[in-house]
Amino acid sequence: MSAEATPSAPAQAALGQDARPHARGGSLRGAGPRRSSDFLEVAGFVDVPTGEPGTMRPGALRGAARGRDLDSLAHTLFLRIYPVIAVVVLVTQIGIAWVNYRDQLHLYSERADLMASLAARAIARPDWSASPEIYRRQVEALSLDPAFRSVTLRDAAGTVLMSFGDQKPGRGFERITAQADIPAEPGAAAQGRLNLAISAEGLRGNAEKQALLAVVTSLILMLAFVLTLHANVRRHVLFPLKRLLLAMREVEHKRWVPVQLDGAFRASNEIDVISQAFNRMVDGLRSGDEAKQLLQQLEQAHHKLEDANRLVMESIGYARRIQSSVLPDRTALEGTGLDVAVLWEPLHLVGGDYFWLEEIDGLGILVVADCTGHGVPGAFLTLIVATALDRLLHERSLRDPAAILEALDGMVRTQLRQDGRGAESDDGLDCGICVWDRARGEMRFAGAGTALTIIDGAAVTRIRGARRGLGYPQRPGERVAVEETLLTVAPGMSFYLMTDGITDQMGGTGPARRLLGHRGVTDILAGDQAAPLAEQVARLDAALTAYRAGEARRDDMTLLAFRPRRDTVPDAA
Amino acid sequence: MDRIQLAATDRSPQVDFDFASGHLSLRGESYPEDAAAFFGPLLQALRAHLADQSGAPIVFEVGLAYFNSSSAKALMNLFMPLEDAAEEGRSVTVRWHFVDGDETIEEAGEDFAADFSHARFEMVREPVA
Repeated sequence: MSAEATPSAPAQAALGQDARPHARGGSLRGAGPRRSSDFLEVAGFVDVPTGEPGTMRPGALRGAARGRDLDSLAHTLFLRIYPVIAVVVLVTQIGIAWVNYRDQLHLYSERADLMASLAARAIARPDWSASPEIYRRQVEALSLDPAFRSVTLRDAAGTVLMSFGDQKPGRGFERITAQADIPAEPGAAAQGRLNLAISAEGLRGNAEKQALLAVVTSLILMLAFVLTLHANVRRHVLFPLKRLLLAMREVEHKRWVPVQLDGAFRASNEIDVISQAFNRMVDGLRSGDEAKQLLQQLEQAHHKLEDANRLVMESIGYARRIQSSVLPDRTALEGTGLDVAVLWEPLHLVGGDYFWLEEIDGLGILVVADCTGHGVPGAFLTLIVATALDRLLHERSLRDPAAILEALDGMVRTQLRQDGRGAESDDGLDCGICVWDRARGEMRFAGAGTALTIIDGAAVTRIRGARRGLGYPQRPGERVAVEETLLTVAPGMSFYLMTDGITDQMGGTGPARRLLGHRGVTDILAGDQAAPLAEQVARLDAALTAYRAGEARRDDMTLLAFRPRRDTVPDAA
Repeated sequence: MDRIQLAATDRSPQVDFDFASGHLSLRGESYPEDAAAFFGPLLQALRAHLADQSGAPIVFEVGLAYFNSSSAKALMNLFMPLEDAAEEGRSVTVRWHFVDGDETIEEAGEDFAADFSHARFEMVREPVA
């Protein structure tokens, strides 16, 4: 049993177990000096050499986790404890037997002494040696003792006067001798001596029996000890240890299995305590591992999202440059005597709101369009509208706002194939057009879904135009009907074309939560009529932000604010 | 038809189309990213319900604090078959709820009302409280 190499039996067993992986490692690299990590390697605890930090090499604990090593642990325990216990028990038993034997021997000696001195005193008469035969019966009485062997009676001169029994000398331990002086008058020398020998054979038999008993007892004790120790070690040490090792092997493979204590936890049992600590460690490792994995996944997802978002944002940023370049120069109507201020703010960089400013034939053309949708889809529609409008103004030379709207309706519907051929597109636009005739001081307006707001001092007028927008698949025969409004412009009048993104600002809290609405917007504008348009528009923008109070905007916003310069319009008076 | 019940989200209204009782309702705000996708199934269900010719009265409650133009278009698409059904003799009532003072929604209701000549279109002014 290899376990005789006791101090590191598990480690050695692990060594034997791991000979194969080790050969893959150190020995193939050549016979260089062992590094400090080599021991761990030999013992089977090897860090993973490749790029997966924090992971144990699968199988590193494999050897140690095998039951065999636990058996050797048990054998180690037995072999180290068994001889000690055996020697102690044997020595104790023999000691007891020896003390017993000594006591018995002592008692025998005292008995012999007593018998000798009793006989000696019985003989002690003056001149007893003259006729020793008188005392023969008394001396012979000594042989009544079953252990009696021999007796010798001598006179003062040492002459043997009487002797009987088996006189032949035996080995010392087989007979016990006693001698007693035959006393004379006090102060005088002894009158003779009696020597008595009794047998110690019974004593020896006794001692042999005791010794045998001691050996048998110690054997029985030993057997009981071995069986008890084995059962207890198996139950209280080996089984929990094996359980722990199996759990460790699982954990090594990142299977987060705790040790099943089955409710049998005892705080006084160190292995239970270790198992519990191990379970806590497994819990910690598991949550750490899970958190790490989640974090990794999250980071990956985050990077992907970041990349995707950057791509989209770059793309939309580019789209915004294109859409912005389609929009007119803000000063396009300088020559027509109109002050113009513009607020154009798509919800998502680009959007479905569009405006156009152009001076043609001395007329100022102002268009605001709100196409369905916002963002990229809305922006697509604005390009269709821009192209169509360009053709209507320059190829068909339309100058009449109602006519432009009606023609725009047709063109958009043709472009989007909404004219009754199973249209896929359900899109369209709200649009308002003003045509400013400086020479006549007249403003002509037509709107489809878009209103014109006129603020003249404190008076607010709203001309709504047609309710329906342009485009959209319509019922057969349905035509957009747009009316034109002709306004004579007086000094101080301000005009506003706005998309519903301007008025549809959600704000307020609780029951007061509602859209700002047209009135809300015109109240703000009307209160600021003295200011230049650009300032007015900037302040309106700020007021809208304040009204929303953190609420997200819902739509693209476009506001065209315009008013004839003072020098342009003759006083009505 | 099975009842359609959808919880409100921040971009779409609460929907309860209880066809069995003839009671339909939309409440909340409506500016879904894809209005056609949101309203398409509702329109289909409504059409299917109207096609089964039971003739039971229908009440459609609309209480929206905000809707974008795509939703407006979708509402119109919902209203059209109702108006057609009313023209064929079915009892149809659209109840347009708006909070007192919310001119935008009130005005939108008036605009929709103009499209109806057979169905009843009721403007329901709700107190601010």
